[in-house]
Amino acid sequence: MGYLGGAFSTAERRLIVLAALVLLPVFFLPVLPVWHMKLWAPQYREGLTLSIYTNTIRGDLVKINTLNHYVGMKAITASDFREFTYLPQALTGLGVCALLAALLNRRWLAILGWLVFTGFAVVMFADYAQWLYSYGHDLNPRAAIKLPTFTPPFIGYAKMANFKVLSFPGMGTVLLGLAWALGPIVVLLERRAARRKAAAAS
Amino acid sequence: MKRAISLLFVAALLIGLASQFSGCAGAKGGDAAAKTYVKPGEYDKYYAFFSGGHSGQVYVYGIPSCRYLTTIPVFTPEPAKGYGYDEETKARLGGLTWGDAHHPGLSETDGDYDGRWLFINDMPNARIARISLSSFTTEEIFGPIPNLSAAHACPFPTPNTEYVFAASRFSLPVPRDKFSKVEDYAKNFNGIIAGVKVSPEGHMSLGFEILTPPFDWDLADAGKGPSHGWEFFSCYNSEMAFDSLEIKASQNEMDFVAAVDWRAAQKAVDEGKGDIIGGVPVLDPNKVKGIIYLIPTPKSPHGVDVNPTGEYICASGKLQAEVSIFSYKKMIEAIAAGKFDGEKGGIPVLKYEDVLEAKVPVGLGPLHTQFDDKGYAYTSLFLDSQIVKWKVGPPWNVADKVDIFYSVGHLMTSEGDTRHPTGEYLVSLNKIAKDRYLPLGPSHPEATQLIDLKSPKMEVLYDFPTYPEPHYAQMIRAEKLKPLKIYSLAENKNPWKIMTAEEARVERKGKRVDVYMLTIRTHFTPDIVRVAQGDTVYFHVTNLEQDQDITHGFGITFSSKNTQVDPGETKTIRWVAEKVGVNPFYCSNFCSALHQEMQGYIQVNPAGTRIASIQRPDPKKLEEVIALLKK
Repeated sequence: MGYLGGAFSTAERRLIVLAALVLLPVFFLPVLPVWHMKLWAPQYREGLTLSIYTNTIRGDLVKINTLNHYVGMKAITASDFREFTYLPQALTGLGVCALLAALLNRRWLAILGWLVFTGFAVVMFADYAQWLYSYGHDLNPRAAIKLPTFTPPFIGYAKMANFKVLSFPGMGTVLLGLAWALGPIVVLLERRAARRKAAAAS
Repeated sequence: MKRAISLLFVAALLIGLASQFSGCAGAKGGDAAAKTYVKPGEYDKYYAFFSGGHSGQVYVYGIPSCRYLTTIPVFTPEPAKGYGYDEETKARLGGLTWGDAHHPGLSETDGDYDGRWLFINDMPNARIARISLSSFTTEEIFGPIPNLSAAHACPFPTPNTEYVFAASRFSLPVPRDKFSKVEDYAKNFNGIIAGVKVSPEGHMSLGFEILTPPFDWDLADAGKGPSHGWEFFSCYNSEMAFDSLEIKASQNEMDFVAAVDWRAAQKAVDEGKGDIIGGVPVLDPNKVKGIIYLIPTPKSPHGVDVNPTGEYICASGKLQAEVSIFSYKKMIEAIAAGKFDGEKGGIPVLKYEDVLEAKVPVGLGPLHTQFDDKGYAYTSLFLDSQIVKWKVGPPWNVADKVDIFYSVGHLMTSEGDTRHPTGEYLVSLNKIAKDRYLPLGPSHPEATQLIDLKSPKMEVLYDFPTYPEPHYAQMIRAEKLKPLKIYSLAENKNPWKIMTAEEARVERKGKRVDVYMLTIRTHFTPDIVRVAQGDTVYFHVTNLEQDQDITHGFGITFSSKNTQVDPGETKTIRWVAEKVGVNPFYCSNFCSALHQEMQGYIQVNPAGTRIASIQRPDPKKLEEVIALLKK
């Protein structure tokens, strides 16, 4: 029976259950935003907000779209994103996987789940970056104001025309990150326990 | 000796001059300035609503900065807000293009302002308007009220806004189409006091009318606290003169304050005791008792004001130097005891001394009284050009006076006609501005002064002009109002609204053309409208914006057609294609960076040209608007 076929100790199992529970608000109830974009302009000193959830976009969409049409940017609408149709389900799957790994106490299942989760996250971040790129590059050539193409910031601050834009992760992403980090933590704890056991035996 | 006298004379002259100059300054320097300063971007503590007099409008100011905030058009068409140009507001004005707006009255709950509505009268045309303090627009105009001419004692709402009132300043033969020689005034003319019911939603309807002798009803105030259920009206011309009123109406030592039991009056009408005159039930005090009483009041009283506790009715005889204070309790006792001194037009007259509580020697030409939170009253003195502060209750003495520039008419204190005045500010609405501002030619603005009431001595803080002619004003704490920022498109119930680009179209049926148009930065859709000469065109313009302060205008060149469509609103403009040719239309309210481009054309073909019964916008444009509005 190799390492992958092994089981967890009680403490580590609890941590994996915790990872599943932490995912809960993000996947069962898409109530926590995963990403925010805040925009300020001289006429909007109070700021306009875009908040991305796993299943929709909320915030000052109508206002932002009306302003964006001057530079020929496509209207941002939730219905354009097929991601919203599978993102909550995919995250649900990963959460269930973590729960199963803990309940069945199978190390291989936990590691597989974590690897899929990591891969999925990388793909989704790349997808998001692709959207940002396309919004700033796929500009209507008939637009009244012709801007050089641009990419809104993925994370952090940028100045675009008369707008200042700040992009930052929401609570959803923070929780997802925490759940993800529990994977390496479990591995680390196990290794330390194994070392201690070996030291005690010798 | 002679030299000493002349020295004294020179000294007196110098002192006189010095005091004259200091008097002219009116307000103190830096300290007063700080008390009116509101930092850029910050808000005032109070909204003040000034009647616009013969402009027919209401002006809104911020207090204490005295900043002009906006004009609410009420009885007069107003192109800046497009009021009276679209079909809905045109109908509201009822064909009249003028009103004389005298007395704003804020709606009340339990005798305190509740921030729902502002009522205001159109004196000459006997109308009452209701302004929503959510949208800051005129929502309803009630009247002309039947039988009644010149609603001056109006509207003065009751403590729960059960009623607003209207009483006639100029008496008439009743009903209005009855003819009489003016010489038969005393016999054939009547005054009318009308009680106008206000529903919980704010809608006005006539409750009752009371027929009175042809006195000139002047001002009014509602009883509150113990006197809730009564409305008090002052009058002059109890002489019943019909000409040379200046002299003939100033002869009697006593005119009257009328006390109307509005619950009893409504009950009498509900029991069918009214005579139908001019289509409405009118109560004749000769036949119906227990609804109205007269209190003799000296020398052509003007203001009649009930104090915050509702115990006292303060009547200012404008041709004397005193305010007469009547006791509500004494009035009720005298009525109960039946102690009357005859009748006038069937109305029982009480005895002055039976009802009088005190007389306060305030000064010359007292007009109006309001109150603070410390038991003081403030009365305007027209002739002395002063505000006088006096104690309500023993010893009924004068506590302070302050000079006004010039000739104060109405005054208002902060929430000063409610049960709980705040006692912070007083605004003096002066009739003469004369030399107070940079010269502006012979037509002068009105003068207004802000006075601080927070310390025992009144202090003039600020002096500002207003456009003619505020008569009276009301001041309400800003936090009581929650004005809309935009109209919600979802709640737009206008039958002509459209929500999508696909609905934008021109429909022609016979000679009627309906244009279903939308606006959003920065275009009209459709922007080309084809009609034939002689067509009547209705432009139904929906502003799809939901962002604050993005109002679009709709103005047609070579016409009197212009309106303003606020975010979320639909307005309808009727325009007749009289001449063959092309008429540009455009956004008349600067809306955005490409505002200049926001335009369109009406192409008027010769009569008889075949025109499609439905015109859709250009497909390329339609596609772009659809993309923009995609949800």
